[in-house]
Amino acid sequence: MNYDPWLFIGIGAGLASIAASLVYYRWVFRQDPGGEKAQAIALWIKEGASTYLRKLYKTLLVVAVVLGTVIAFVFSGDAAGPMRGVYTAIAFAFGALCSAFAGWLGMSIAVRANVRTATACVDGVAKGFNVAFKAGAVMGLAMVGVAVFGMSLIYLLTRDTEILLGFSFGASSLALLAKAGGGIYTKTADIAADLVGKVEIGIPEDDPRNPAVIADNVGDNVGDVAGMGADIFDSYVAAAVAAMLLGASFFAAGKVGVQYVVLPLILCILGIASALIGLQFVKVGRNGKPGGALNFGTVFSCVVFALLATAFFAVANGLSAAAGAAPAYNWGILIATVSGLAIGVIMGFTTDYFTNDEHKPVRRTAEVSKSGTGLTIITGFSYGLVSIAPAVVGIVAATLTSYFVAQAFGIPGIYGVGIAAVGMLSLTGIVVSNDAYGPIVDNAKGIAEMSGMPHEVVDTADVLDSAGNTAKAITKGFSISAAALTVLAMFAAYTEVISKYSGGANLVLDLQNPLVLGGILLGCLVPPLFSALTMLAVTRNAFTMIEEIRRQFKAKPGILAGTELPDYKACVGIASDGALRSLVLPAILAVVLPLAVGFILGPAALGGFLGGSIFTGVVFALLMSNAGGLWDNAKKYIEAGNCGGPGSEAHKAAVVGDTVGDPFKDTAGPSLNTLITVMSLVASLFAPLIAQFHLF
Amino acid sequence: MQQHLYLSLMPEALIASMLAPEEFGSYYSVGSEHKTQGQAAFIEIDPAFRHPFFPLDEAFARCVPHKDGAPKRSVYVSVYRVLEHVPLAALGRLWLVTKDGRGLALSRAAVPPADEAGLHLYHELAPVRPLVVSPKGPRAFFDLLMGGAGPSLSFPAIAFVELKLGELATDPERGAAGDLPYENLEHLRSCLASLKTKDVGAKVIDRLHPGTFSYRMLKDGVYVGNKAEGLARYALPSPEALRDEHYAWWRSANM
Repeated sequence: MNYDPWLFIGIGAGLASIAASLVYYRWVFRQDPGGEKAQAIALWIKEGASTYLRKLYKTLLVVAVVLGTVIAFVFSGDAAGPMRGVYTAIAFAFGALCSAFAGWLGMSIAVRANVRTATACVDGVAKGFNVAFKAGAVMGLAMVGVAVFGMSLIYLLTRDTEILLGFSFGASSLALLAKAGGGIYTKTADIAADLVGKVEIGIPEDDPRNPAVIADNVGDNVGDVAGMGADIFDSYVAAAVAAMLLGASFFAAGKVGVQYVVLPLILCILGIASALIGLQFVKVGRNGKPGGALNFGTVFSCVVFALLATAFFAVANGLSAAAGAAPAYNWGILIATVSGLAIGVIMGFTTDYFTNDEHKPVRRTAEVSKSGTGLTIITGFSYGLVSIAPAVVGIVAATLTSYFVAQAFGIPGIYGVGIAAVGMLSLTGIVVSNDAYGPIVDNAKGIAEMSGMPHEVVDTADVLDSAGNTAKAITKGFSISAAALTVLAMFAAYTEVISKYSGGANLVLDLQNPLVLGGILLGCLVPPLFSALTMLAVTRNAFTMIEEIRRQFKAKPGILAGTELPDYKACVGIASDGALRSLVLPAILAVVLPLAVGFILGPAALGGFLGGSIFTGVVFALLMSNAGGLWDNAKKYIEAGNCGGPGSEAHKAAVVGDTVGDPFKDTAGPSLNTLITVMSLVASLFAPLIAQFHLF
Repeated sequence: MQQHLYLSLMPEALIASMLAPEEFGSYYSVGSEHKTQGQAAFIEIDPAFRHPFFPLDEAFARCVPHKDGAPKRSVYVSVYRVLEHVPLAALGRLWLVTKDGRGLALSRAAVPPADEAGLHLYHELAPVRPLVVSPKGPRAFFDLLMGGAGPSLSFPAIAFVELKLGELATDPERGAAGDLPYENLEHLRSCLASLKTKDVGAKVIDRLHPGTFSYRMLKDGVYVGNKAEGLARYALPSPEALRDEHYAWWRSANM
């Protein structure tokens, strides 16, 4: 059977998704941009975000040229022909470009939607929600559209899944820069704004007198729109590419049919369809709850995807039966797909348990804050550690279920794991829409405050913002578990490529082999080291910004009196330059370390290295994201009038907890997903060379 | 430039200034070097007011613009026994200023004729600053401090605020503390509980309480009075009115 039509459908579906995102873009753009003051504030945020993105993409350009040249040169000696290197380099650049385009589009609408959402809040929750969510959908749809378009096009042109690795590596390289850079940026501004503004001077959140307030709002966009979007984009592409690579490898070995190479793309296409359908049903009634609407959209899209996937399997197998052939697709793969999907949703909501103030962990942390900062830190950290357990059990359950179900149905188990990751990430369209909604409403609330809109409008924006915080927490849980499954599949892809280029010998990871053990230990070291580097970057940059804020308050007496405007650009510049400068070392580590281990210690050591980095990466990512979210919400719970309320000793302790948690949850934690994906991709991409050239 | 006279309650001082009340509040709370000084509470005094205890004419003579034309921000007239020498008739509006310099002007209102049942928490602002619990309402508490209970306790004048106790006002042992931001809540509970068993007019919780308090805990305003003229009250608007009409102050006050 010819599966080429699916590649054309993939290109068409990708373009259709991009077109739909542009329709939403246009709709949002046509909404009322509000009064002059609100527009002026939105313009500052837009200019700050644009400045950062320009600098980020310039950095990316340098990285793309260097890495692209290395890839083109290194792979020019490949047995597949001298052009292999050039094609892989082009795919790499195209991957980075696609990710950049989706990020730019998402940011572009987010910085326009914020003021329109604030203005729409004048007419109530429903209208404000509609504007913000549709703006978020621009990012969600553009992302899946660009990814499916890119993967389909490259595979159609090259028929080589290893070249697709180049595409995925390009997307991940940008994601690493965008996520880590955005994380450093956003927390630099947030911490500096809070420590001087709230703690020293005593001015409230989103107060236009704070010189860092615009940088803080820009940070919401670059961290949570461009950064988080790029993070999920790279997992999405990496999951599909890993599964395609495994399908191609098993097809070459005669273990599966050729249809399993394209199946991940078909599932992505069904994911786009389910997102497009699901988005239509995300609505808030006049007095409804936005959180419920967001969750409904996720669950509804999930059900639609499961139904579409089932229908696809049934129709494909029915057509095969009608033609007198064996079933085209194994039903076990459908079970693996749905298990990944279900675990994705469950993981997201599990995260919610540890970070939502309706549950024990947040309330308990708030309660013990009455006895001081020490207990706040210990309790939040401990719950963060506990939160690892259900998530890891979920990942294990998804891995084992998909593996053994696939095996039981006669398909290589590891292909089932790869498909489970694709199934989980099929929700990307709707999940990214929900995620991008968060910073838009956060900005909207800030703009409403800063522009002096009536407090009823601020209250409405606050209702939207609360739902955004929960959506953000769920997205983080989802993205960590998705990355975990993806890198497990990518790990399997690495072993397959090594095996292929080692004359068919299986890669054995024996714990009694000191090289493997050394690799594992070195791999375990990377996530904590990366976390430390990014968090130290935050403290270093925040310290510089704090000095600048203090200087401005001293030099311009009119700022606090409200008669003189602060120099917002100075803080935006510190955040941008500091974030990009701080990225260099962590980014080099992510690319150079796996190569060094592979070329020096050999493929088995690199296998151990990847394993070690995946294990500690997942543990650290869950711990930091959940503990950070928990501390944040414990503080908000106290501010809502519990445990002594604002100004109490408990509040002061909770503020410290929140400050510690900020770089945990928004800088280091989420960046680890991208780190382990990038390292897995580097290993898989360079596996053909490592298999042949290594010291030990 | 016009000259003004202000009676600061935290700390007790009489200050001449060329700044209008709102500007003075911002300056007084934030500081001229824009280093945080903390919240402030002061009362506008009629500039025509004179009293032999205060060298006011000398002070006003020094209260002139700087060489660069900038207004003189403050000339301290006295930092000692101010309240007892200023008659209530000379008092104008009272300003509550937040840590970040947002000011709220309160006007004089009638003192509630009847004292509310339940226990009370008072923060004395001047001349001394203890934190005190009492079974007495503001008017009776004032009378007590003016020497009504006997010669052992007597102030010539006093400024104080009543702070919210929530459920603790009626059930100190088991009442929910909710959003009460007070330190050492267990000590507060036991002091309140002791008022139910001991026949005392007031019990000191903290002899040297910090000079600041959370504005959101103000029960119904600020009280100022003296032996000769009695008690005056500066009424705080309702939370709803504060939010609707003084949103910027309300936000800063709720930090």
